Amino acid sequence: MSVLPPDMDAAGFAALLDELRGAVGADWIWSGDTDMFPYRDSFSPVWNTGEERHASAAVAPENVEQVSAVVRIANRHRVPLFPISTGKNFGYGGPSPNVNGSVVLDLKRMNRVLEVNEARNFCLVEPGVSYFDLYRHVEERGLKVMLDVPDPGWGSPIGNSLERGVGYTMPHFRDHFGAHCGMEVVLPDGEIMRTGMGALPGSDTWQEYPYGFGPDPAGLFAQGNFGVVTKMGFRLLPLPEYYRTGLITVRKRRDLVKLIAHVNYLSDSGMVSEVRFASPLSTWMGDPDFLALATKAGGPSDTEMDAAAETFGLPAWAVDLQFLGPQAATLAQWEYAKDRILSDIVGAEAIDGDHFKLPASEEQLENTTQPYASGVRRRAALGVPSLGIWEIVRDDGHVGFFPVIPRDGEAVFEAQRVLGDAQREFPLPPYFSAITAPLFWHTHTFQMVFAPSVKHDDPEHNAMVHRAMKKMVAVAAELGWGDYRASPIYQDDVSATYSFNNHVLRRFHEQLKDAVDPDGIIAPGRGGIWPRRFRS
Amino acid sequence: MITRRDLIKWTAVAPALATGSQAAFARAPQGLDALLLDERFSPEPAADYARIPVMRFAGDVTGVWYDHLDRRWRDPGYVLGGITGSDALFVLETLANHHGRRVVSRTALAEPNIDGVRPVSWVIAPHHPSVTA
Repeated sequence: MSVLPPDMDAAGFAALLDELRGAVGADWIWSGDTDMFPYRDSFSPVWNTGEERHASAAVAPENVEQVSAVVRIANRHRVPLFPISTGKNFGYGGPSPNVNGSVVLDLKRMNRVLEVNEARNFCLVEPGVSYFDLYRHVEERGLKVMLDVPDPGWGSPIGNSLERGVGYTMPHFRDHFGAHCGMEVVLPDGEIMRTGMGALPGSDTWQEYPYGFGPDPAGLFAQGNFGVVTKMGFRLLPLPEYYRTGLITVRKRRDLVKLIAHVNYLSDSGMVSEVRFASPLSTWMGDPDFLALATKAGGPSDTEMDAAAETFGLPAWAVDLQFLGPQAATLAQWEYAKDRILSDIVGAEAIDGDHFKLPASEEQLENTTQPYASGVRRRAALGVPSLGIWEIVRDDGHVGFFPVIPRDGEAVFEAQRVLGDAQREFPLPPYFSAITAPLFWHTHTFQMVFAPSVKHDDPEHNAMVHRAMKKMVAVAAELGWGDYRASPIYQDDVSATYSFNNHVLRRFHEQLKDAVDPDGIIAPGRGGIWPRRFRS
Repeated sequence: MITRRDLIKWTAVAPALATGSQAAFARAPQGLDALLLDERFSPEPAADYARIPVMRFAGDVTGVWYDHLDRRWRDPGYVLGGITGSDALFVLETLANHHGRRVVSRTALAEPNIDGVRPVSWVIAPHHPSVTA
């Protein structure tokens, strides 16, 4: 479906493309249905409908000077650009823009790892660098740092962090935006800016002190549309000497409250890496009677769930703990965790897991020696990029709603109940039930997952998923659980829920946008922020 | 299950199915530089077919990507054929697009789905001037 940029005719579009060719070379401009197919959102629930967003063209500059040139050309033509790093943001829109006819600014050619410093534990990369690229750079040089990678690992550290993506190692590295330190940005007028210490000529601390002096605008470029990030630094975890795992189970449903409080302590004290909560009762969800109980309207009682656990001979909850550090420290931390939790929760039990020296062997990465069933994906847990997660993606992908909920057991129970009831009207698998465990990805908060699949050949199914997404966003927001990340087709819905004081946050963002980018050259609509030109 | 006979037959006709990059095909024996087999659908022991190197994997393309394709696809040329699950093809096609390559032939196979994944045969060839030989 060929489209033109907003307010532009075919002749103007041809002139735009000519100028862009002059800036980056004729081989690095694409337009037309066939060439633009890869820039569609293949996970879109509005695939092939009028709501699907289509770009008109794509341009791939080679360096920051060319990015600046492209932005200046776009300004002259009043054409919106939609920057992507590697375009792998599947489930959240992929490479597709907010505004039909936008030109995708594809930064894949800017793929240099500029520095990995193992003495000071940071890296500086360009947006086209993937986690695989960065991992290869580290591995080939034998550098003693551990990456924190999302799953799958084919995206870019810059793109993932600007989406506030997450990984699976130590708490302060899992929040990828939180772990960034310093960025270079092409502003909407084409000027090149550096944040933090990067603004001080001659500074050698760009990747060590993020703030510099005065206000730090870095946050504006995450899920925002105030510039094009062309370099970004990240803090890295020194390669730990040792890895250790352990499992703790608790018998009663209500024991989750205490268990979470203990894990919060362990995590906030820096003693554990990513933890995985789960309910062993999930293995019985294929049983119709138990399924009916776990998804009962209003939620089952604690007594009912404890009786079911008793019948099955299973504990109500389990938590997978992982430890990174010196061997003696990981052992001491595991012993401390066991003692702390088992002495406080009646009936709690602990199972020693795997433990080995790092870096891990291929067999250890395959996770074949864990003495208990585990939801931990070992490669991701050890910062090794993988594409294996695609084995669990079915149909033509999925949407994603990940509400942020308090890191508290009672809040988990409430979310199970409220979101479970909300999804009952939709013929979907039970994403929320009495056994739904929280995800502990971001450093200090929980999330839950709602990710129904989409099917390119089933528009009725997709329409149902689309309705379900909108409903879940709205229902969750009523309880104060906001989505953390959204596809362009849902960004306005999500943004609208962050409505404190008559949407002052959005109005403030709009004021900024109007000041620096009134024509909406950089990703208008991204993050729910529309410039004046498009607000009408 | 895909048999050895099916495989030989398919590799022979694959270039004819392709709709583009004929020059790239002409450079490779049988039109292919390598063949990628997904063991979920083709569990026969590893062997090269008609002197075409065969790479095998079982659903997860991580190893194939990191150890082979990520390097091969940085250079011009390299026509890759495959019989894989549609899920693996999605991953490979996305990576291929990123590296200036396209799926130029795609055929759904009649063999039964496994865990809801359908088998498909395909050819990925260089497309962008930066990687066409």
